[in-house]
Amino acid sequence: MNIIPLNFFNEFYDGLYKTFIEKARYELFLEGLFNTVIIAIGATVIGVLIGVIVAILKVYTSQKKANSLIGTIVQTIVDKFLSLYLTVIRGTPIVVQLLIGYTLIFTSVQNGVPIAILIFGLNSGAYVAEIVRGGILSVDKGQMEAGRSLGLTNGATMKSIILPQAIKNILPAIGNEFIALLKETSVVGYVAVVDLTKAAKGIQGVTFDAFFPYLSIASMYLIMVIGLSALFKKLERRMARSDRR
Amino acid sequence: MIDVKNLDKHFGENHVLKGICEHIEKGEKVVIVGPSGSGKSTFLRCLNLLEQPTGGEVWFEDVNITDPKCDINKLRQKMGMVFQHFNLFPHLTVLQNITLAPIKLKLQTKQDAEKNAMRLLERIGLADKANEYPSMISGGQKQRIAIVRALAMNPDVMLFDEPTSALDPEMVGEVLELMKELAQDGMTMVVVTHEMGFAKEVATRILFMDEGHIVEQAPPEEFFSSPKNPRLKDFLSKVL
Repeated sequence: MNIIPLNFFNEFYDGLYKTFIEKARYELFLEGLFNTVIIAIGATVIGVLIGVIVAILKVYTSQKKANSLIGTIVQTIVDKFLSLYLTVIRGTPIVVQLLIGYTLIFTSVQNGVPIAILIFGLNSGAYVAEIVRGGILSVDKGQMEAGRSLGLTNGATMKSIILPQAIKNILPAIGNEFIALLKETSVVGYVAVVDLTKAAKGIQGVTFDAFFPYLSIASMYLIMVIGLSALFKKLERRMARSDRR
Repeated sequence: MIDVKNLDKHFGENHVLKGICEHIEKGEKVVIVGPSGSGKSTFLRCLNLLEQPTGGEVWFEDVNITDPKCDINKLRQKMGMVFQHFNLFPHLTVLQNITLAPIKLKLQTKQDAEKNAMRLLERIGLADKANEYPSMISGGQKQRIAIVRALAMNPDVMLFDEPTSALDPEMVGEVLELMKELAQDGMTMVVVTHEMGFAKEVATRILFMDEGHIVEQAPPEEFFSSPKNPRLKDFLSKVL
């Protein structure tokens, strides 16, 4: 009667030991976790920068007519280039983009982490750009007019009046994008970067135990995502204070 | 102070302003009335280039503001504008709404701008709302704060684009009252409105616009007692 539970605990301990303790395998998990986090954060920073700049340029080129021939040409080229960027990035899988970046473009770079940060940043930028663009367009036209009528420049009005309202409107969508990005980094194993997923896979390969490695990284992703969601909830609540009636 | 020469505005096929010439002196209170679609708002918005005219010139304080080389942002600091839908900045408090432009444009230090804003708010009796957000105050209060926001820039002229049209009837009075005070202080004002009572009481001159032209203009008494243009007669018979 007692043999089965005893056996179960033994196996449980054995699995745990093999996955984490033996040959200091927890270090591999830590390395993976570090890479996952660093890629997600780096890509988020690049993605936000690219996204905001692209969105502003897109809104600007679609709304304002340049008043010289050169201005019109520059505007058209910029607009076409941005459209190309958005179409290509959103039209191809992230794994393919990673492979192209690693094997065709940055062939001389040995470390895959900076490449992954750049490629994920470029990828995320395209999605953030569309979200931010939607956010800017969601702000009432009268806000820009009010800012301009006070003598503020287009750029100053954008920065102090339009963007804060746009960002407030798009915060939930941006939160989703970052959560998706964090989880998407699990494919960087394709370009020889040891992230959480790759670490788990490697350990499963030597211990022949899938249970502990995969369930433990699943919970690590989950905890990070829950933390991120909580952070965005907090931000949303903070930015909503001007809505209180 | 404002000189409009042959002002033309097309929206695509739509010819909205058809060669308007007008001169506005310092201290004048010009009220523009007319049926909707007559081009009154477009005319007003061309004065500070919120609409880019397609032809003609606008001169403000001896500067051709329709010249592409002119720094329009500098000139707009001297032309306050009040909108139909207030356009307060919803993410900023009342005080921040008023002080944003003077601080960002480095015209005043933060302390001076806030002191000035509080003085203006006290004048309109809304000093207690300084730290509220626009979503918490009434329409009439919003519009009075929008007026004060424009005044905080010490403008030489104030443009009003149907300032009471979006208000509940019982809030129209407080806004008109503030505009009257402003007029008494000697502010140069250009007002597009449907408030005939205000026009009668405050205007030094009333312009009647129809289909992109100023078809008649006169001081208020004459404007209301002996209109000449048949279109104006028809208009007055409907609104009075």
